[in-house]
Amino acid sequence: MPLYIVNSKAGAMPEAAKAALAETLTEIHCRVTDAPPTFVHVFFFDEAPNPPLGDKTAMVYGQIRAGRTDAQKSQIWKEMAEAVVKHAGLPADEVHAFTTDTPASWVMEGGDVLPEPGEEAEWLARHEAKMAAERASA
Amino acid sequence: MTDCICMVQAGQISAAQQEALRSATSDFAQRNFGSAANFNWVEVPEGRGFTAAKPSTSVIVSVRSDRSLAPSERVPLLHELEGIWREHSGRGPDEVVSVITDPLQ
Repeated sequence: MPLYIVNSKAGAMPEAAKAALAETLTEIHCRVTDAPPTFVHVFFFDEAPNPPLGDKTAMVYGQIRAGRTDAQKSQIWKEMAEAVVKHAGLPADEVHAFTTDTPASWVMEGGDVLPEPGEEAEWLARHEAKMAAERASA
Repeated sequence: MTDCICMVQAGQISAAQQEALRSATSDFAQRNFGSAANFNWVEVPEGRGFTAAKPSTSVIVSVRSDRSLAPSERVPLLHELEGIWREHSGRGPDEVVSVITDPLQ
């Protein structure tokens, strides 16, 4: 978590653009929120039922941890929509980006409940030490 | 029915693994939330899943609870759900994301 779903009309998102766009979306999320890249999932679909495309050609829907400010969320929406426009070559008015909040306490990765925003560094250090110990004892 | 969304990478889970995951997850839902799982099983097409901007091997399972859960109840359930998915998917600990959401308001 976060999980970003990029849904687009068939053929609208060049295959060659997906890896670069995933990298850009990951960079945006991490820069705006200070989250580690290892948390960020970006999955691409053609004409999936969710999020519905409506009158748009491409939609970015992010499920992010609750606790981000309105300013952070607005920046994510704006920069991610701009990234899709750039990478896919679509008109700006055919792209939309939005997010919803999921409490960190509802999500577990690698056997640990996710940290609250701002507590990532401590969580990562603890988590990586635990994983190293598990690998050593395996 | 207990809503359950499973997102896996295409080609990652065999048919036998999927059957075992569905059975064990539905048992989990029945025991803890009072009804069997209603699955939305989604395969991320090959080459279209990324984690940390690299090709993804992650599986994400999200189950909706029938009630609002306190952390003391949710955390053991998250451990149990993750254990099911690690056992039956063969994925490593950092490849399984488990989520238990409260009911829709």
